[in-house]
Amino acid sequence: MDRRIALASIVGMLGANIFAPLARAIAYQPNPVINTGAPEIVFTPAQRALVTALSERILPTSDTPGAIAAGVPEYIEHMLGDWAIADERATIFEGLAAIDTRSIADYGKPAVKASAAQQDALLTLAMNGELSGGAPFFEAFRQLVITGYYTSEIGITQEREYLPVPGEYDGAYPYAKVKRIFSS
Amino acid sequence: MAATDRFDAIVIGSGVSGGWAAKELTEKGLRVLMVDRGRMVEHGEDYPFDGKSAYEIPARGKMPAALAKSDYFALNGWVSPATQPFFINDRLNPYDYDAPNKFNWVRPSVVGGKSLTWGRWSFRWSQADFEANKREGVGTDWPIRYDDVAPWYSYVENYIGVSGGRENLPYLPDSEFMPPFPMNVAEKWLKERLESEFPGRKLINARLSNITEDKPEQNRTRCQKRAQCDRGCSFGAYFSTQAVTLPAARATGRLTLRSDSWVTNLEYDPAQKRVTGVRMVDANTGQVEVVQARMVFLCASAMSSLHILLNSRPAGSERSYFHSNGALGSAVMDHIFRVGVAGDIPGMSEFVEYGRRPGGVYVPRFRNLEAEDLPFKRGYGFQGAAGRQASAPKGFGLSMKHGMREYGPWRFTMSAFGECLPYDDNRVMLNHSKTDRFGTPLLRFDVRFRDNEIRMMDDALEQGMLMLRKAGLTNVTGGRGKHVPGEAIHEMGGARMGHDPATSVLNKWNQAHDAANLFITDGAQMASVSCVNPSLTFMAMTARAADHAVKQMRAGLI
Repeated sequence: MDRRIALASIVGMLGANIFAPLARAIAYQPNPVINTGAPEIVFTPAQRALVTALSERILPTSDTPGAIAAGVPEYIEHMLGDWAIADERATIFEGLAAIDTRSIADYGKPAVKASAAQQDALLTLAMNGELSGGAPFFEAFRQLVITGYYTSEIGITQEREYLPVPGEYDGAYPYAKVKRIFSS
Repeated sequence: MAATDRFDAIVIGSGVSGGWAAKELTEKGLRVLMVDRGRMVEHGEDYPFDGKSAYEIPARGKMPAALAKSDYFALNGWVSPATQPFFINDRLNPYDYDAPNKFNWVRPSVVGGKSLTWGRWSFRWSQADFEANKREGVGTDWPIRYDDVAPWYSYVENYIGVSGGRENLPYLPDSEFMPPFPMNVAEKWLKERLESEFPGRKLINARLSNITEDKPEQNRTRCQKRAQCDRGCSFGAYFSTQAVTLPAARATGRLTLRSDSWVTNLEYDPAQKRVTGVRMVDANTGQVEVVQARMVFLCASAMSSLHILLNSRPAGSERSYFHSNGALGSAVMDHIFRVGVAGDIPGMSEFVEYGRRPGGVYVPRFRNLEAEDLPFKRGYGFQGAAGRQASAPKGFGLSMKHGMREYGPWRFTMSAFGECLPYDDNRVMLNHSKTDRFGTPLLRFDVRFRDNEIRMMDDALEQGMLMLRKAGLTNVTGGRGKHVPGEAIHEMGGARMGHDPATSVLNKWNQAHDAANLFITDGAQMASVSCVNPSLTFMAMTARAADHAVKQMRAGLI
């Protein structure tokens, strides 16, 4: 029996959440593949609903689609599931919990059921460091939303203008001719 | 493939140097076997992320941090999911160093080597670069001078296509240029300001192995201004083995290319002083084979070539056949790196950039060109560019979203590449107590920067910020990170060229003192490293060595 098969036979004993280096050793391949399918589930349904609502408040629908249409909530779960380590996930989980706790105290309902204006008020408290763990949560969450949005198809091709093959370079292109700024 | 004499030459490695060796040797009529440890990558069809937008790249182009740390640690965070397929997995292919003297050894894992992912900045060395060791009494003298290489620079430049502007600078000779990528309006302003504030210092067009005119005879199309070169370019707009030298070698009908073949060592006859075989392991099957040819071009990349040479030793001995004089593995160098400065360029807000250039502007070396009272030897140059990013308003919501629809100011950034001196005790060796998956002792690095390099980095930071401030930029920032050797990915030396067989490994034709039929034409040959990017010099030296080797073979001397 080679080592790869031997490792694979241990999987059943370890349960579902195999320590990452072991998981990679079992799935040995010279170039590990990055998950492009469904994200690993890291949120409870309630957390996911709140992440969805808050991401849309960060980057709302206007004359172009907002965060939800751009798939930002899925992107965030993907990043936290496949990308983040436990401490980084905790920053998000704790911030979501603090926002929910404050929402119940101030508005008598969980944040996901709060109005858009109330959600904005809760995010503002977090931003200003007036919730426990609020400031680091807001900074991390805002980065995730912005990155997810401006790297999405909607962010790249609708909110901004995408030049897949510019062909030419003009280093003095009139700003007046720019309708939407160019995606990088 | 049986061990036969069906090949006139074996080329080990298929990157910048190996590809040139294969092209030149096959075009001169030799039957050539080119081997690479990496997997096959065919031009165009094996560039999975060529032309893809960010949303089509796994994880939107962000490498999972844990994976980068565990499996691609030499790249120190620079690997992305779009370039990962071209790089080796460090976890599965370890190397060795003592913790205080870390070395980031960046290695490719594909046919074409680093020619697929390189930075493409291309400069000639100057006469002063070749003379520096002798003039200063540092290291060992080069046995060649600028005039020995100049015609070969022209030869490779005309073939590959190098874009740039003529400047007539004695310390940075012009290449055979295609038109440069133009400066943008902010860079033109900076050029005028910087050159008037600092007489003698220049800000010039980037010199790049990206073509600005079509080369239809090579099926190559000029750069399309996408700025995604390191994913592979189906237009063939930048120099790579796949786009340029491999098609030429294949067209002769005399090339055999074998991927997935790890060369572990050379077999050697000390009596005849000849390399008698190349031992390789099939990476997929583990099958071992020794292939013979009249001559060998070792172009495996500087440190890998040293690894192969160090591991070429008599049975039962830990000492290489090529280690007779102690020079092998010593005086390993890299460029200084990790000094960056930036500032906002005022005005010109009515202009933006259209398209994405593959490079920007260059500030050539200005230190120690003449006798100067500075606390360090040699010098450095800056590579940079000006551009405008989206504004970054604070907060969240509609005001932020719409605020990000405006461009911010022009911002100029540049970073330094500087010359590291050759120190004989900066060396690589074998660690006989640890072996890789092919049974080869690991390559062990003992390389660190010394005072000269540290002082040069300090000076680059100080001068970089001074230049931007005096030119009139605002919000000038600068930083000097800890530079781990190897990070510039310009690791060189260890089998230097020299006059004296007692202190060097190669003669002035890249030919091993200890084996007339062995030529080493990658970065291992370097006796010093200048401050300019090295690949163009490897190409010219490879073409020159191949010409000499074939003449010697025809004369019956090899």
